[in-house]
Amino acid sequence: MRHGLTLRIGPATFRIGSAWRTPIEALARLYAAYPDGGGTVADFTVRLQPTSTLRRWVRPSIFITGDHGLADAAPMSLAHGLLAAEMGMNLQMALGWRRHLLLHASSVEKDGRALVMTGESGSGKSTLAALLGERGWRLMGDEFALLDLDSGAILPFPRLVSLKNQAIGVVADAVAPDRLGPLLRATAKGDIRHMVPRADAVARMSEGAMPALLLFPRFGHEAALRPVGQGEAFMRLTQASTNYVALGEPGFAALTRFVTGVPACAIDFPTGDAAFEMVGRLWEGGA
Amino acid sequence: MPQEEPALDRTRIYRLDPRDHCRICPLDDLVLLYHVRSGQTHMVISPVPEMLEAMADGAPLSASDLYARLAHDYDLGPPDAAVAQIGAQLQALEALGLVRAA
Amino acid sequence: MSAALLVRVLRDPASVEALDAAGWTGLLAAAKAERLIATLAWRIEGRQLPHGVKPILLDARMDAEREARQALWEADRAAHALSAIGVRLVVLKGTAYAAAGLAAGQGRFIGDLDILVPRAAMEAVERALMAAGWEWVKEDAYDDAYYRQWMHELPPMIHAERDRMIDVHHTILPLTARPKPDAAALLADAVAIGDSLWTLSPEDRVIHAAAHMLADGDLQGGLRNLWDIHCLLHDIDRSTLDRRAARHGLRAHVRQAERLADALYGGGAALTAWDRVVRARLLARDGWGRETRKLLVFACYLRSHWLRMPPLMLARHLWTKWRKGHRPR
Repeated sequence: MRHGLTLRIGPATFRIGSAWRTPIEALARLYAAYPDGGGTVADFTVRLQPTSTLRRWVRPSIFITGDHGLADAAPMSLAHGLLAAEMGMNLQMALGWRRHLLLHASSVEKDGRALVMTGESGSGKSTLAALLGERGWRLMGDEFALLDLDSGAILPFPRLVSLKNQAIGVVADAVAPDRLGPLLRATAKGDIRHMVPRADAVARMSEGAMPALLLFPRFGHEAALRPVGQGEAFMRLTQASTNYVALGEPGFAALTRFVTGVPACAIDFPTGDAAFEMVGRLWEGGA
Repeated sequence: MPQEEPALDRTRIYRLDPRDHCRICPLDDLVLLYHVRSGQTHMVISPVPEMLEAMADGAPLSASDLYARLAHDYDLGPPDAAVAQIGAQLQALEALGLVRAA
Repeated sequence: MSAALLVRVLRDPASVEALDAAGWTGLLAAAKAERLIATLAWRIEGRQLPHGVKPILLDARMDAEREARQALWEADRAAHALSAIGVRLVVLKGTAYAAAGLAAGQGRFIGDLDILVPRAAMEAVERALMAAGWEWVKEDAYDDAYYRQWMHELPPMIHAERDRMIDVHHTILPLTARPKPDAAALLADAVAIGDSLWTLSPEDRVIHAAAHMLADGDLQGGLRNLWDIHCLLHDIDRSTLDRRAARHGLRAHVRQAERLADALYGGGAALTAWDRVVRARLLARDGWGRETRKLLVFACYLRSHWLRMPPLMLARHLWTKWRKGHRPR
């Protein structure tokens, strides 16, 4: 491929190749503080390639693929090249990662213990993690939490935080401009802007923490709090995991250990401030 | 479990093949079974875990035999209804491949 | 050309120790794209490997082991479903290799469950599978009619709860293909593995693999199919194989498969001009895992349809497919 870059995020190394220069340049700028993956053997290859030869130049259209790909993935415009690269890396993790149980969840750490939040997109789990990451917690990841199969610890996967729609304004106000990527308008998921995690989140990206609390947040509802039983937590986490089935017995052992050891709660919240207050109360209350 | 059709064969013999043994993890509200051979996870409630435990020696059993074994340790209520329920569960377990017709 | 590198390493595992990081990344990308990564892992076990390679290979082996376990479970379920109608379950390809513990099964990715049943039993098999929870993948009138009229199998079925596919064959090539394998002989000579499964005889396994690769496909995944053939050829008397292949009308295909397997993975063979074209197609993969030589790939796609169908039907079939947006990848 014409343009390429190797990135290390948490335990995974990605080689990203692109038919165009701009997506690679955007990645290089935003991932500048991450460890250099050059000279190492990549776990995954991501390819951003034209949907057809013509589409390299005329209304350029990106087909996202790599070691793992979806045949029916919708092509993206070159203006959204950074998002395409991020989606390409996510796709590899979701379909190919086997060294940890992969949970579609955000996670933050304080005092050596991890708070894990999972829910549908739009639940506010990413925004909440991003904001907590600016308020004294260490951001471990906004999209994937990695559950270690042997130790039961949560390991970070601190890729760029992907801010969507209203979250862009809320979070962007709180951070320096050099930590923000370009505003990508009208993507399939609405407006998107990427944010570089704080320096400590990147520097400590190999450092895990034992999970202490599992939350199922839901944004946009009256404040409410409900303990979640182990069976429900187990079921919802299997649905939130892309590799639970693939891991087989070790995945079963890790996930049962998680749900029997970590208290779980569903929280509904109308505003960020309400969420901070509820999380603080649960955390202090012996989570 | 859905209501089973009335035609339930109470004399059908089942057994638990040792190759079909599950990893069992009780949670606060239900029991998880991990069936190693298929890689499938099943969520079950009583009396399924108790039935599988009573069949663990691999002996061929009918629903009535299994009722007799379970009645030792549990209060199962009226025998007729209990045997019918056990028979229905055995059928469902056979469909999942957790027990086999002997 | 990383497919060539992959082939070299499979043939000569020691050669892997000379690779640098970029060479490794290219090798692994090609091996993943060809679904030979776990086979590669087995093949280079115990070699000196750079940091970062071992976990990738371990992941691949674990995946392959799980696939084998699941494939055997699907076979167990299908055998259970067919036991009621007294049809014995002859499993083909990956599931058969795994069940029989063959070298070809080591690290092999296994997709769908492929089974062979007598043509006369097709309807009963279809009913028995549906009673046991399998259902049609899609309700598409054209494909359905096409399958039933011209193919060697039922339209694919999927198990509603386990989400796994089964392909029920009554012979090993489409009815439109020129060679007419003797399906009754394939079934009659099947050998038992365990107490509820059968596989084709060792010779017929090679013949099926060769027919599948060279008489019924566009050579997608051809390097892996050829690796199967290379492994399956190990314990086989080649002249017995030749006689058996002649009986199925597949002697030319089997001979070509032998030449290609020996040339790419074995001690070498003299290749014909057409062999060289096929070899070029097999090796069309770069270090990013991309297919190269698009024209050759496309030509093989066209040819694979021509192999199976008279020209008029080919036009109709391709046109129907294309209208629906199918394109060779």
